[in-house]
Parts: sequence; structure tokens; C-alpha cells
Amino acid sequence: MIRSLRKILAFLQRDFLSEVSYRLAFFLQVAGMLLSVAAFYFITKMMNPKTEGLDGIEPFPWVLLGLSFQYYFSTALYAFSAKIRGEQMLGTLEAMLVSPTPTSIVIFSEATWDFAFGAIRVAIYLLFATLVFGVKLYATSLGTLALGVVLTLLSSAGLGILSASFILYFKRGDPVNFFLSAVTTFFGNVFFPSALLPAPIRWVSNFLPIKWSLDVVRGSLLQGKTLRDLRGEILNLAVLTLVLLPLGLFFSRIAIRKAKREGSLVQY
Amino acid sequence: MQHVVEASQVVKTFVKKRPVNELVRHPFRRAERVRALRGVDLRVRAGEIFGLLGPNGAGKTTLLKILSCLVLPDSGRAVIGGEDTVHEGRVKPKIGLVHSDERSFYWRLSGRENLRFFSHLYDVPRRKMGARIDELLRRVGMLEDADRRFADYSSGMKQRLAVARALLHDPPILLMDEPTRSLDPASAMSLRSFVREELNGRDGKTVLLATHNLHEAETLCDRVAILVRGKIRRIGTVDEVRRWDVDERRFRLEVDRWPPGFRGPCRVLSEEEGEGLRRVTIALDRDGRLDGVLRALLDSGSAVHACDRIEPDLEEAFSRILEEETEAEATP
Repeated sequence: MIRSLRKILAFLQRDFLSEVSYRLAFFLQVAGMLLSVAAFYFITKMMNPKTEGLDGIEPFPWVLLGLSFQYYFSTALYAFSAKIRGEQMLGTLEAMLVSPTPTSIVIFSEATWDFAFGAIRVAIYLLFATLVFGVKLYATSLGTLALGVVLTLLSSAGLGILSASFILYFKRGDPVNFFLSAVTTFFGNVFFPSALLPAPIRWVSNFLPIKWSLDVVRGSLLQGKTLRDLRGEILNLAVLTLVLLPLGLFFSRIAIRKAKREGSLVQY
Repeated sequence: MQHVVEASQVVKTFVKKRPVNELVRHPFRRAERVRALRGVDLRVRAGEIFGLLGPNGAGKTTLLKILSCLVLPDSGRAVIGGEDTVHEGRVKPKIGLVHSDERSFYWRLSGRENLRFFSHLYDVPRRKMGARIDELLRRVGMLEDADRRFADYSSGMKQRLAVARALLHDPPILLMDEPTRSLDPASAMSLRSFVREELNGRDGKTVLLATHNLHEAETLCDRVAILVRGKIRRIGTVDEVRRWDVDERRFRLEVDRWPPGFRGPCRVLSEEEGEGLRRVTIALDRDGRLDGVLRALLDSGSAVHACDRIEPDLEEAFSRILEEETEAEATP
């Protein structure tokens, strides 16, 4: 366990070193994030705070959390497959897979930096929103928030590994990513409340982990709700995690085995 | 004799990927298949340098990938250090793979940072990591350049770093896939001597080297196998392989004159003039004797200044095997 953790940290350190070697790009990215927060502040000024589904939350912080977590989810969706593809092209995947580290740990660890950077990104969004636009955040239920974030991370990793398996299996473009990303953005309670959707299609959002993640995060951070208040949402998120993560790992095993049989594991 | 690498009847066929438009137009057409290995049998002894020789596309890399658990065979068995390669967790600690692909590092990291990352993957204990990396960098002559970015390294340095990486976990078996392919002659020679003297001679590592460089195989390997179109055609010591099917002996004679119409128990293969002497290469007939040729020459009034035996070389043996293969292919 500790050895696996060290390996995951080694991936984190490797990507951090690589990332800081592009200093200008790093700072430009942060500057771009701050501008997009400001843009959303003014866009949400046009929205009615009494809109159904906002649950009394101001539109700006509501959308801001949607935006930051949607980025987190799409990172999870793209990071695994993009990293695996990158390693295949760089020729480093073969060097990693010939090492005694199990393939599943290599695949899982590949996205560590993207997840960490995603978390930093969320923190920057929230810090900026608090300091510049006066958004009030509740720190009364940090345990609930942490639980929600961990479940978000695991469920999105499940989806991401599923998509990476697709890349390994078919060696083609990734419709899984495209489909999930589009569906998540539209149905996931991200930019507008899913309560606004027509009733016959509203049920779709209940099967998306991001919907429950956002309910937990918005509830705990913006309304100070406790674990007791959010137990239903946490439970739904946990059930989706329990389905998606093993499913992703199962398909990754099948994809790796097939790729090894075909001899295409390290090709791109 | 203990064998540490064994392949028994290994077969591997790859299915060629079909483009989407072809899949749409001919959905039921059978995809093209490429038979990379057709029942390969191979045994490498502990502590030897074994060369896997073959032209491009012979199946050398596929065999190395099967032995390093990256590809599964369709049938047959590959065993490393007594463990079947399907148990990759037990096989991988015993092998180090040196790729021919010099890209296989992170270009924006230094050599040392790259090795540190791979040390974690190779389960090098954390407390020994720094010392192990330094020791390997010193052995491959990279200690002074260890903190430069990988992108700034020459091809020779990149390849030396690849060797250092393969040695991180001190495996007893090294699989090397054309390690000198992109190196200049001096770097290639230095790498060969490192493999021969340090890795094999000092550390006693078993080396399985895939190459199409015959000179490399001749200077480095204890035994070689010639792989053509997925099948092993010859296997033995370098000497055995180059003498295979050769029943004539060749000599180069330096004489002051070659008698016109000379008849002896030999065939003249070539003649050339140089430094006032004639250099004549002859091949003795199956039952011919060298003293018979020399006597006949002396009797005809020629003076023999030198006589050297010409050993058949690996290149010739290799060409012969390829010719046989081409003829066999052409025969209906």
C-alpha cells in the first residue's frame, strides 16, 4: 500500500517538475481562470436569484461551483486517456509497463497531477470569488465536503479509466469522452438547475455523479448544510462510485489483456 | 546447463487494423494477418551474451516484447528465470529492457530526475535510491551530465541512460533491442565494450541482444540465433553459424606470378595485383589439400610469399540463409 502510494507520488512529482518548466504557460492559465470568474460574475448578474432549483443560493456562487467542478469532471474524463496516449507517443509507456509496477497502478497514477491541479484550480476560483466578489463560504461542515470531494474524485476516476480503456481497446478517437462530457455539462446541474429541464428528460441527471457532487458541495460550502442534511445526496454519490470505479477497473483489465494479445499496448 | 530464457514453440500473429472507411465498405472481409513468429524455440544460458539476428521484420522485437511481458503469445510458452511470462509480477523483477527508441524518457526532466521517477516504478528502496542512481550514472559515464535536461543529450548519452534505467533494479537478465541503432561508431563501440566487460564480464548478467548488425553480433555474442520471417533458421556459437553448410576452405595467397592455365585441387575466386605481387583467393575442392596447391605452384616456378586462411564470416552465412529463404518462398 505504502509502496503504491509512493509510486503515485512519483507520478505527481514528475508532472509537477514538467509543469513548472513551462512557467509562463502556468501563469497565463491562472490569469485566464481569473478572467473567466469575472466574466461569470457579470453574466450571472442577468439571472433571477429566484429561479427554480437554485434553492436560495445566489446565481454567481452557484454557477461558479458548477464551473469549477465541471472542469474537475472533464479533467477526470480526459486526463487518463490523454496521458496514456501521450505516453504511447513519447515512447515512455513501454518503459513503464516493463517495470514491476502493475499496469493498473500506472494507469491510475497517470492522472494524479491533473486531479491535484484540478483541486488547485477549484481553490483558486473559490479564493478569488471570496476575496474579490465577496462570496460567503461556510466552513461548518468540512468533513461532509471532504467526503463529497473524495467520492467525486473516485467516481470521476471510474469514468476516466473507462474512457482510457476505450482508447487502449480501440486505438481510435474517444466517443465515450465526448458523450459523457456533453451529457454531464447539459444534464449535470452545472450551469443551470436540472429542475428547469422538461420533466420527461430530467431523470437523466440522477444518474450523473456530478449532479450529486454539486449538490453536496453547494450545500456544504454555500449553505452550511451538514452530513445529516446531505445524507441522501452522499448516498447516491456513493452508489454511483461503487458502480463506476469497479466498472472502470474491470474494463481496463479487459482492455489491457486485449491490447497485449494484439500487441498494441504500446502503439498509438 | 541452466537456461534462464526459454521460448518453446512461440507463435504470434498480428491482425492488421482496417481503416474505418474500409470497415464500412466491406464489413465482413477478413482482416489481413501478419505471422510475426512461427513456432520459435530458443534457450539462453545463464551468463551468456546471446544474439538474436535477423533482417527488419524478422520478429526480433516481437519476441523481446513477449519475453518482457508486453505482448502475449498466441500459443507456445516463454519462460524467464523459471517463471512463465504470463506471471508478469514474478518475471518483471528479473528483466531489464533496453529499447532502441531513444525517446522513451521525459525530455523536460534531467537524466537524474528521469532515473528517480523510474526507480520508484522499479521498486528501488527509497533509502538506497540516491546512491543507486549515482552509481549507475557513474558506471555509464553520465554522472557529470546527470542534471542536464534529457532533451539536451546526444544519442549516445540517451542510450547510456536507457542502459542505466534497465539496471536500476539490478536484474540478472538484460533484453536489448538494437541498442546501438542510432549511435555513431565510437559510441556504439563504447556501449559494446560496456556490455561485454562490465555487464556480462563483471556483473555476470545474461544478455539477449536483438540486432541486425552482424559485426556487433560477431564481436559481442557467445551464441547467436538467426531469425528469418518468424522462424529460427540457425542457432549456435558465432563460429558454428558462420561455418554452417560451408564445406569449402578458402585461402588468400600472395605470389610473384600466377601460372597461366594453373590446374590444382582448387577454384580461383579472385585475383588482384598489388605491390608487385598477385593476390589470389582460392577455394579448395572438397577433398583438396593446401600442400597440393602449394607444391604445384612451386613446381611451376612461382614463389609463394604468404598464405592466409579466410574464415567464413557471419555476413556470408546470413546472406546464404536469406537466399535459401527466398528460394523456398519462390518454390510453389
